[in-house]
This record gives sequence, structure tokens and C-alpha cells, in this order.
Amino acid sequence: MTLPRITLFIPCFVDQVTPQVAVDMVTVLRRIGCELDYPEEQTCCGQPAYNAGFWKEAASVAEHFVRVFAKSDMVVCPSGSCTAMVRCFYPELLASSPYCEEALALGKRIFEFSEFLVDVAGITDVGATFPYKVTYHDSCHLLRELHVQRQPRELLRQVKEIDFVELGYSEECCGFGGVFSVKFPEISGPMGEVKATNIEATGASFVTACDPSCLMHLDGILRRMRTKAKAIYLASILAAQETAAVPSNGSADVVEP
Amino acid sequence: MQSGKEDRGAREEILGRVRAAVRAPAPRQQSGSVGPIFATVTDPLERFQSECAANHTDVVLAANGDETVTALHRLLASLPPGEIFVQDTPELRRLTLGLDARQSILWSSGGPPPESSQVAISHCEALVGQTGSVLVSSHGCGGRGASIVAPCHVIVASADQIVPDLEAALARARQIAFGNSFVGLITGCSRTSDIEKRLIIGAHGPRRVVVIVRLSSGPSVPEIT
Amino acid sequence: MNRIAQEFHQKAREKASDQAHRQTIRRAIDTYETAVTKGRARFADYEAARERCAEIKWEAVNHLDRYLDQFETNVVQRGGHVFWASDSEHACRYVLELALRHRVKTIVKSKSMVTEEIQLNADLERNGLRVMETDLGEYIVQLRQEPPYHIVTPAMHLSREQIAELFREKIPGDVTGETHEELVGAARRSLRRDFFSAEMGITGANFLVADTGMIAITSNEGNARLCTSRPRIHVAIAGIEKVIPRLQDLAVLWPTLATAGTGQSITAYSTLIGGPRMAGENDGPEEFHVILLDNGRSRLLADPEQRDLLQCIRCGACLNACPVYRNVGGHAYATVYQGPIGSALTPPMRGLAEFQHLSYASSLCGNCTSVCPVKIDLAHHLVQNRRNVVAIGERPWPERTSMRLWAWCMLSAERFKLASRLGRTMLRVLNAMGLAAPILKSWTEHRQLPPVPKSTFRQMWRNNAER
Repeated sequence: MTLPRITLFIPCFVDQVTPQVAVDMVTVLRRIGCELDYPEEQTCCGQPAYNAGFWKEAASVAEHFVRVFAKSDMVVCPSGSCTAMVRCFYPELLASSPYCEEALALGKRIFEFSEFLVDVAGITDVGATFPYKVTYHDSCHLLRELHVQRQPRELLRQVKEIDFVELGYSEECCGFGGVFSVKFPEISGPMGEVKATNIEATGASFVTACDPSCLMHLDGILRRMRTKAKAIYLASILAAQETAAVPSNGSADVVEP
Repeated sequence: MQSGKEDRGAREEILGRVRAAVRAPAPRQQSGSVGPIFATVTDPLERFQSECAANHTDVVLAANGDETVTALHRLLASLPPGEIFVQDTPELRRLTLGLDARQSILWSSGGPPPESSQVAISHCEALVGQTGSVLVSSHGCGGRGASIVAPCHVIVASADQIVPDLEAALARARQIAFGNSFVGLITGCSRTSDIEKRLIIGAHGPRRVVVIVRLSSGPSVPEIT
Repeated sequence: MNRIAQEFHQKAREKASDQAHRQTIRRAIDTYETAVTKGRARFADYEAARERCAEIKWEAVNHLDRYLDQFETNVVQRGGHVFWASDSEHACRYVLELALRHRVKTIVKSKSMVTEEIQLNADLERNGLRVMETDLGEYIVQLRQEPPYHIVTPAMHLSREQIAELFREKIPGDVTGETHEELVGAARRSLRRDFFSAEMGITGANFLVADTGMIAITSNEGNARLCTSRPRIHVAIAGIEKVIPRLQDLAVLWPTLATAGTGQSITAYSTLIGGPRMAGENDGPEEFHVILLDNGRSRLLADPEQRDLLQCIRCGACLNACPVYRNVGGHAYATVYQGPIGSALTPPMRGLAEFQHLSYASSLCGNCTSVCPVKIDLAHHLVQNRRNVVAIGERPWPERTSMRLWAWCMLSAERFKLASRLGRTMLRVLNAMGLAAPILKSWTEHRQLPPVPKSTFRQMWRNNAER
């Protein structure tokens, strides 16, 4: 099928802290034949301010976002929570903004990465090989706002040599929650530790998810607890092929595409 | 009893605030899930029995009036001797005729069941297939205490009292609502999970509920000869 | 940060790292989840049930004046009394005067969150009355002189051994052993004496049925039934939002409440009380009083955005669903209502500034929203509370300033790149000096910091594009 031109929405922290996430997503999108563009005026979707209750600030950032992506045919984003921000929360946030209509329209043509591959491109096999035991964490906004649950699993099952195992309590929040992670570390940390314990119990070498923010938090916890398991973003698994080196996690070794 | 002036004021204030508040409309979000909430109960008697098995209600089927008497007497003989509190109706008077002299009967017409009563016997307003429940009422079933004080509650019912579901049970409750100060739906025995979430049968109410269901229609008990 | 918030942080810290507590709660919630999964399967369409319950409660709350009026008319017609209480003090005074007038010595009480809210027990006890909680979980925490841990399972945090020890100390004459059955039996023996001697029974109400002037009370133990059959006087206290239009509405409300609350098809005793004993009845109270409590509810009602919080049927499902609640437990909240509903309700009802920390103590995972049987979007209420706190200027100025600065940076890619480069450089420097961990303590207390990458994505894209 001919795919529309894809405009990349790379979340602010992915761009700055975990760029490998975006690099690997680009690899996979190119592999399936997508033409990509990346508007460099993009910055952030505004979620941190929105969640913190600073809606005036969030709205101004959201309006900038809507302007940046106004001309896109289709937007793909490697983050469930950022996609949910645009699709599910922009309508209320920009209800009295001159950009309201555009925001609603943008919400219909923005997709989270796994959702795009399976539901839009109709592809579940991206030619990946990843000979490791892997488990999957259902991140909250992806699950409950975007209703994406089946798609990442379909993609993972098609990966050659992968040993996929379901995570116990996979739908339970990992404890990141944006600013919650630093406003209430005494709760966020233990929630992550509970998740880490469940990950360890699967015996998996990797835990993956569609939200690099969750993975950043989990990665920090897993490394602190010195567990066997490492956190890795979904596209990093899908980008892996027979000959490629195994990426350790989304942030450490930055590999040029 | 809003007798004091201050108290009457409170009513007007509160209702006034409420009236003013609801003038501003609130959004209503519908998701479109409007299918049937429960599957139709196709065989209410069968469903009643299976639900009762799950909720620890004993169900005894009696083909006719004679068997009802036998079943009741047999049940009472199996229980430890003690006071039996019985709803005072002609049918229950006939059913309990000839009981063993050890068991003393207290009639509901004499007052509430004493704390020491071991068994209570009453009618019911309906039996509910969907949940294996018994609908009782104060006026219609021997008072409020009849179904809660004694550790064993026996309900004498007939199969034509079975209604399929809660909708039907509540329709019946609506009919009798203004004629009774109490209407209750009882589903199984008294129970609690308050200690470590472990289910224990028999908290403050009966630890045994028995429903004797007479299957035949017609006079409930053969004429006394 | 105010004192209440500080205490919350402290209690949260203690409980969240308490492994034994975590195990106990995990076990309780696993049991609950298993039961609820079975319970939902009894419905042909559980989502349709949620939709219908939401509809009924929406109708009731949005026409509250009409249904309250109808309810009162019917109760009075049936020989009951209705008292409208503006606040806690008003409600407590009514009960006290009633009790004193009738020379009441002992009161038996079935579980009612509203009576916790108005602190009724303390008020009555101060005036020489003996008040016995009869719900087993409430009875246990009453003996321990602590508040309930959870609105449906008040003693969820205690083990059988702890309860056995408590009973041995407080009701030694009734204890025959330490098994679950024997402990329940001990409580039954002890409370039975009170049921049969108390002059007054106090209950809450799950629903106030407008078309028949009846209150609906559900219990599994049968304690509410005994509270309303033996004592001479029955007082029922309920928030004004408990009104529902029709008796028929219970056909879906009762099973959904039971499923969400405990996974049961319906609670063992689903009771309707329509007044004192009628002529010709052989038992029942001589007097029946219903207290309709406002205590801030009409204020919530007036805000169309927050009004649906009054749809809550107090099932406790959101508490069980909340990962924060599972970790910090019920006592950390230090409020009458805990968990997501408590965090959503308490700030607007009792003080936005004072209780704001409750709305921030959430990762906004949304599990509460997905389980609420009356479809309240609880997680969204938390974000809206945060917005309201900001709007009244109650966030600390450093946060307000940095948010404004952040937004300003985010409005231009150039500023964004500059700010990020500064941030990354600072992080590298701090790392090199070994200062990153202590300065960024909120992160590093529990987690390793993510490594700082050599290039940003936009740099790589630029390089690639130009190649």
C-alpha cells in the first residue's frame, strides 16, 4: 500500500535524553518504505505543563505544536503519552483557542508508532530478529486513552527468535507519571520497584514498552536494583536485525541511523 | 421534625442552594453501550437452584403439600432443639402441626423473635432466579426480625413465586412498598470477609438459609381431617 | 508545603517501603480482582451496566431538588421524620438531642462514611453515650481506636493474628479461639448483646429512593438489619447526593455496586426501610429519622464541571484500582475519603490549597476512571484540581516562574535548543563533579540517572539530511 508522507513528532525528552528511541523508529519506518519529514520548529506537546495544572502555559505550547504540524498529512510519535496528549487532551485544553478546530483535526491524523504500523500501515512483520526473552509493559495513557494493547504484542510476536512472555500485572502503572516521579519520589520509586520485581519474575532479559518516559524511569530502577533485565524501547527491538549489534538500552550508545 | 425555626431555615437554604445549582446544566457523556445488561433468565427455577448452590442457600423441592410438611418436619428434627419463631399464618399453622413437643413455637403475632430463637419460619414475597435471592417484607413475612435473628431461617415458598430477575423482583417490591415498613432482598447467608479477605459464613445474621419450594399449585396443605 | 502535606509525604514514605504492608494489601487486592473478574462475567454487558448506572446517577444529581423533595414527602407521609443538616455540627446536634430526649444509653451503628465525615461517634461519646460499631471491620478499628483503612474493608491492613490479640485484650470473655471463624464468632457474641439492648440504631444509606420514600442499605453481615429491627429508634444519615429517582433503578444499581465493591452478584442483605413500624407489624422501630446532610455538597453541585463527583456510590473500586493507594495505604491520606475519590473530592470540598497535595500525589494512570461503575473520570478531576490550584495562585512562586520560563523556551526551537544545551552541559558538569546524584535527589534516591547522549536527535537528523 502507498503510505502517506510521515511527519515525525519526536518528544522533547526523546530528542534530548533518549534519541536512540527516535533513531530506531526512523530505521523501521524507512525499512517499510515511509517517506519522512521532521519539522525542526517542533519543541514539546505541552504535557508537563498540562499535568502540573499550568493550562495557560500548556495551551500556548500546544498552539505552537498545532502550528508546526498544521501541514502534515500524518504524524507518527514514539510515545503513547505524548500522542494521547494531542488526541485526547488538546480538545479541552484548546477549547477556547483559535486553534481549536485545527487541533481536533490534528488529533485524527496523529498516531503512536505501534498503532501506526499495525492499524494504518497494516504491517506486523518488520523483518526484525531479536533472540532474547522479552516482556512488555502496558503504559497507562497508551492503554487507557489510546486503547492500544494488541498492536505492540502483534509486532513483538512477529520478531524472529524472540521469546515473548507476558508480564504479571502488566497494566499496573510503573510509577513515572511525569512530575509525579520527582514530586513524590517516595511513592514513584516503590511503584517502580514493584514493576521491576514483576519484570524479574518473568526471567526476561528485556522489558519493552511504547513509552520512552516509562522506560527511562524503569531503566533507572532496574539499573539501581542491578537486575538482569534492561529496558528497551519497542522500535529498538523492531530495528534489530541478524547482523546488527544489540542495543543495550535506548540512551547509552547512540548509533547513527 | 423540622420544628425549630433554625432547622426550617436549613431546609430552605439547602434546597435553595440545590435548586440554584442544578440550573446550570452539566455535560453528559454517553459512550453508546446500551445493550441488554443481563442475559434473559430462561429457566428461573433452575437458575434459582444453581445460584442458591453458589450462595449457600439450601433449596428443598417438594412435589406437593404432603411433601412440604414432611420436608419441614424432617428439617426441624435435624436441628438442635430450641425455640422456633413462626410467622403466624393459617398455612404455617397447618404445616407446623404435630411437631415434636421438645420444640416450642413462638408466633409472630406475639411479638418479635427472642434473641434465643434457634429457627425462624416464614413465607416470602418472591424468589429471584437471577441471583438466588428471597424477597421478604415486614408485613408479609412475619416482621423484620424473622429473617435475621435466628441462626437458621426457613422459607416456605411455592414455585409460582419464582420471578426471573431483579427487575421483576423490584417490580414486586414496588407493589408492596407502601404496605410495608421493611422490604428486603436476602441472598445467601450472613457472611463477612473483613478478616484477611477470608470469607466466613455466619456473621450477625443466619448462618443457614433453607428454602422449601412446593412445586405443585393448588392448596398448599391438605385439609386437616 | 503545609503540615498536612508534609505528614502525607512522611506517611507515604513509611508505608511505601514497608514490604509486609505491601504484601498484605497485594493479597487483599488480588482476591478482590479475582472476584470482580468473575462478577463482571455475570453481566451480559458490564459496560452497559456502567453506562446505565452513570445515567441514573446523572439524572438524580442533575435534578436533585425534585428528587429530594419527592423523597421527603414520601418519608413524612409514611410516618418518618426528615431533618436537613447544613453541616457536621448541625447533624450531630440533632442526633444528640434525639438520643438525650429518649434517654438512649447504647447506640448500635452500621457502617456509614457520612458518620465518619461528621465525626458523630466522638460527639456522642463525649456526651456519655456508648456507640458500638457493628460492621466487623469497623468494630475492629473502633477497638483499636484508629480510623478505617478502606471504605469497604476497614481492617484490610490487619492480620488474623493482630485481630486475635486485639480480641483477647478487649473481649476476652467472648473469645473461644483464633481461627477466622472463631474470631467472627467472638465478635458476633459480643455485639449481639448490644443489638438486643441498644435503644437507638444509626445507619447510613446507600441510596435514598424518591418514588417510595425508602432508604436502601446493603450489608453482607446482617448488622444493618439488626440495627434497624431491635432498637426503638432508627436514625439514617446520608449525603443529599444519595437520592435516586425510582425503586426500579436498584435492579442495575444493586448488582453493579456489589460487583464493583466486592465482586458479588449482589450483597447478602439488600434492604429497604420505609419508616417506623406500621400498624399490624410485630416489630421494628417506633421512630424513624432521616438526616439529609449537605456539608459542602451543594457547593460541588453548583460547579457543573465537578458535579459528577456526586454520582459516587462509595463502592471502593477506585481505591482498589489505584497503584498509589496500594503503596501508601488508607491512613496516609488522613482524610475521611481516601484513594482517587478522596483525592478528587477533598480539595474542592474542604480546601483547595490545604489539600492540593492529594491531587498531585497521582501518576494519572487512569485506572480509577476505567473501573468507576458510575463513570466518573476521576483521573481527569485530579488534573482539573491541579489547574484550579494554579488558577488561585497557590503554587509556590519558583514553580510558577520556572513554568513560565519553560513555556517561553518551548515556543521557539532556537530557545528550546539553547535551554536544552545548557541543561545537558550542566548535567555533564554535575556528573563529572559527582554532584548530580545529591542535587537531583528526587530522581536519584530511587533511580540511576539516564546517561547524557552525545548528540540530540535533531542534530543527527540535520547531519544525516546534509550528508
